[in-house]
Formats: sequence, C-alpha cells, structure tokens
Amino acid sequence: MSEDAELLSRLRSGDASAIELLMASYAARVYRLVYGVTRNEADAQEVVQDVFLTVFRKHAAFEGRSALSSWIYRIAMNAALNKRRGKRVEVETSFDADLPTYLADGHRAGERAYLLADWSQTPEAAVLSGESRTVITTAIESLPDHYRAVLILRDVEGLSNEEVATAIGDTIASVKSRLHRARMVVRERLTRHFYVNA
Amino acid sequence: MTCKEFIELLAEYLEMTVSPETLAMLEEHLAGCAPCQAYLRTYRRTRDVAAASERTTLPSDMPAEMKAHLRAFLLAQVLKEES
Repeated sequence: MSEDAELLSRLRSGDASAIELLMASYAARVYRLVYGVTRNEADAQEVVQDVFLTVFRKHAAFEGRSALSSWIYRIAMNAALNKRRGKRVEVETSFDADLPTYLADGHRAGERAYLLADWSQTPEAAVLSGESRTVITTAIESLPDHYRAVLILRDVEGLSNEEVATAIGDTIASVKSRLHRARMVVRERLTRHFYVNA
Repeated sequence: MTCKEFIELLAEYLEMTVSPETLAMLEEHLAGCAPCQAYLRTYRRTRDVAAASERTTLPSDMPAEMKAHLRAFLLAQVLKEES
C-alpha cells in the first residue's frame, strides 16, 4: 500500500495515528509552499494548522480522482491565498513597468544597449549572492500572491501546468500567463540591476 | 513575426509546446533579432536562478517547535471530536 493510501485508510478509520503519517508525509512540503505565499512564519503556522485540520475533517470529500497530494496542495494554496487576502490592505502595485514595452510595429521599445543587455553568462554564485540575490527575492516578494504561488509551484516545486491549475483552482491558460509575467518581472529587475552595475 | 509576438510565446517556445509552423516562425525571428536573443537567454536564466534562489530562501522543513505544537493541536482536536 502506498503512503497516501495508508494515510487515507487511517484517516477514514478515525485513527489518531494518521496524524503522525500526515505530519511525516506533508508537514515540510505544505509548510514550505504556504510560507512561499505568505512569506511570514506566524501566518504560515496558522495556515498549516487550518490545512491539516481541514484534511482531518473533510477527508470524506476527497474522491480520489486526483492524487491526495493535489487535493492537499489545493487546500493549502486556497488557505494561504485567503490568509493574504484577509491581511492585504494596500492596493496591489502594478508591475507594468517591469514588462517589456513595444513600438507600434511590435518591436521592442527602449535604448538599444539595454535591449541587448545579457547577463546570462554571469556565474550562478555571483547571481545568487549580494545585491542581485536581494533583487531576486524582492522581485518575487513584490509579485501579486497568485503570481508568486504559480512561480513557486511551477518553477520551484516542479509541478506541471495542469497540477498548478488544480492546486490554485485556476485555468491552465491563466497559470501559463501568470507564470510568464512573473518570470518577466524578475528578469526585468535583474537585467536593470546588471545593466546599471555593469 | 514581431518581438511582441516572440516574447508572448517565449514560455511555450521553451516548453516546446508550439506547433511546428509557429516554431519555424519563432526561430526565423530569433535568428535575425539580437534583442530577442538576449531576452531569451536572460529569461531562461531568470527561470533557473529564481528557482535556485527560492529553494534556499524557503524553509526545507517546519521548525521542530512548530511541528510539536501542530501535532499536539491536531491530537487535541481529534480527541475532542471523538468524545
């Protein structure tokens, strides 16, 4: 029997030992994902508590049409995004300034030297340290929550577009669009950083 | 194909989920457009370094104290609901 099947069986029989199995299988994964969205330890703790309680109370609603992990991810992302929605008081900032701009003929607008800026050969250790590391984390943290959630699930956790769509309850087209825009925002901030500091 | 169309299709180009006709148009544009070549390289690198950065930024596990608290909380809830 797989670990998920064993977990489901223990949940269904009301066995308190399901707690240990749930913790062992999902505590780290769910906490990391939820922290990725909330960026706050206290909020992540509260959300994980709610998620696991929901798993205990609503396991009968799990129909087994998708993997148990997908169902748990969906509960987790929904709870994390709701938590952020409840807390956010500021108006979401537009990130249009970090997206490419175009001339009327569809070609890129901007100074040619900037359009040709290419830092892609910079060694990973250099990109992931100092100011450029701060640029990356600040850019990711500044993304609207749904965009950050998609970036984390897809690029960090390696889920497919379909799995991400299931986890956040959105369409595949929307997942693809948000992922692309999130990457473009981070790319723009990094390019600006390396261009100015060249 | 324009730069705007090329950049809009960039993620799908990298995943190779475009049709052969679109692929041919993307590659034809890319071959003659230095700004899009730079955009492609930096976009692809961004995807990789952003993921690497997050992998080390995000916690690999729940802090032990938090885990103990969660375990106790769940057990209390389960026992409460059983009684």
